[in-house]
Amino acid sequence: MKRRHNPYLWSIPLALLLVVILVPYVWIVLASLKERADLLTVPPRWLFDVSFENYRQILSEKSFDTYLLNSLIIGCSSTALCVTVGTLAAYAFSRFKVPAGNHIFFYILATRLGPPVAYALPMYLVFFKLGLLNLQVGVILAHATFNLVLVVWMMKSFFDDVPREIEEAAYLDGCSPFQVFRMISLPLTYPGLVTVAIFVLIFSWNELLFALILSAGEMRTLTVMIPSLVLHTGTLWGQVAAASVLQSLPVLVFTFFIQKHLVRGLTFGAVKG
Amino acid sequence: MGGAQARLSNRFMWFCMAPVIVFLIVVSLAPTIVAIVDSLRELSLTVFTKRGAFIGLENYRELLSEDAKFFTAISKTVMFVAVVVPFEFIFGLAIALYINHEFAGRRLLITLIMLPTMIAPVVVGMMWRYLLMPSFGLLTYYLQQMGFLAETTIFSDEFTAFAALMIIDIWEWTPFMMLIMLAGLTAMPQEPIEAAHLDGANAWQVLWHVQLSFLRPLIVFAVMFRAIEASKVFDTIYILTGGGPGNATETIAVFAFRTTFIKWDLGYGAAICLVLAFFSLVVAALFFKVTSRAQER
Repeated sequence: MKRRHNPYLWSIPLALLLVVILVPYVWIVLASLKERADLLTVPPRWLFDVSFENYRQILSEKSFDTYLLNSLIIGCSSTALCVTVGTLAAYAFSRFKVPAGNHIFFYILATRLGPPVAYALPMYLVFFKLGLLNLQVGVILAHATFNLVLVVWMMKSFFDDVPREIEEAAYLDGCSPFQVFRMISLPLTYPGLVTVAIFVLIFSWNELLFALILSAGEMRTLTVMIPSLVLHTGTLWGQVAAASVLQSLPVLVFTFFIQKHLVRGLTFGAVKG
Repeated sequence: MGGAQARLSNRFMWFCMAPVIVFLIVVSLAPTIVAIVDSLRELSLTVFTKRGAFIGLENYRELLSEDAKFFTAISKTVMFVAVVVPFEFIFGLAIALYINHEFAGRRLLITLIMLPTMIAPVVVGMMWRYLLMPSFGLLTYYLQQMGFLAETTIFSDEFTAFAALMIIDIWEWTPFMMLIMLAGLTAMPQEPIEAAHLDGANAWQVLWHVQLSFLRPLIVFAVMFRAIEASKVFDTIYILTGGGPGNATETIAVFAFRTTFIKWDLGYGAAICLVLAFFSLVVAALFFKVTSRAQER
């Protein structure tokens, strides 16, 4: 819309909005750089001596690196699994008439729409009986299931955008369906595939409930570790802040790069933004 | 395509579908069957007498006819959704309309606005816990300075605890609504708006009769999507109140979690989870209809 307005006047409400949105985060970033004496003060302290003590502590005393590694392993494995399985299915949904396709798709959607706890318990019962709770398999499978609909829906829309004529030309040249998929459709949707993978990775990285229920002890992720710093004797706020900042920074960086696709990703591909 | 070609295609289609079918059987169908069996037993890891004897539909009967906490949790969840979603929608739409034109730094601005939605709900919960801490929290301090809060702590009072959780949810998810509305507004053709202006419509009339009516399918989708997501709220409540004080902020997901993984009543928990899964199948069917219609546009 071409509205005539004063850009300075126009930006005042925006600045207020940004204050509301950003101050909570800025405050936790500041907290991560404070020493113990500056953390809990009345009135709250905006100016203080910067210290990296909290970061040192979570790395040396709280084995932050172990949890970070767990989050990475779980994130990457579930992303690889989910993207592989989901992309193949998406291609079938896009190109062929899959028998009972609507039912299968609906089933995939239902696994994502229901409350995670309702799906976590059945998985817990199975892994409990198989004695696999202290491995990461449970969380990896759970995160892959949870994100499947995103991969299928988004990749299907990317495959739908590939012109059929290109594929038909390849068939005429004697390519098999697998070759057409492998050498033409997949490379053409490659940028989309990367975006989808980033989304799955972020969702897995940020997920709490499955990670909380399906993993134990040494196998826990960052999202489970952060609340564990709330102790009965009091919360280690400096360490909570430092861990929160380290957990969220990569997400913010990725968000900037996939911004063009945020609408698609956050609605599991249902809305094309 | 000849017959041989069709056979090849068919075989390739099954090659594509086989992994997802096997995957769903392993991670979803098999666990569901196990859960159905367990929901018919009294199985608890803490109560010694409940060692797995089959009791038929007793768990379901108890849940649906006797468990007042279950229905309280449902009504809390409905209340939560009914308050947060309209606010998120109105705020999101307002912000989207406000920034719906080209200007320098738009991309960066949108990324910054999206921060609450993108960071982990665990981090959101922790941030707010820190802001709202009794006396030392930044927000608590300024609110007290302005005379809003007496000496009560926010999370020990039933009303303020629930209200705070709602406000945090609105803070967290308004950006999501904004993003969807912005996508709809950007995709909208400009001619009808200009035509309406030429016909002498004022800004409100354009908004109501032109823009909103164009956005309607998207609004239905977005509100429904958010309502489903909001009904599952767990992470922030788990961090901030754990469902308390008492069970004042115990939504359905928190209730199911507490019963199953705090009290370790697995048989009863399985019954709860299956009832919830059944509800969500019904909701999913509705959602599926709405979105497939929206996608056909």
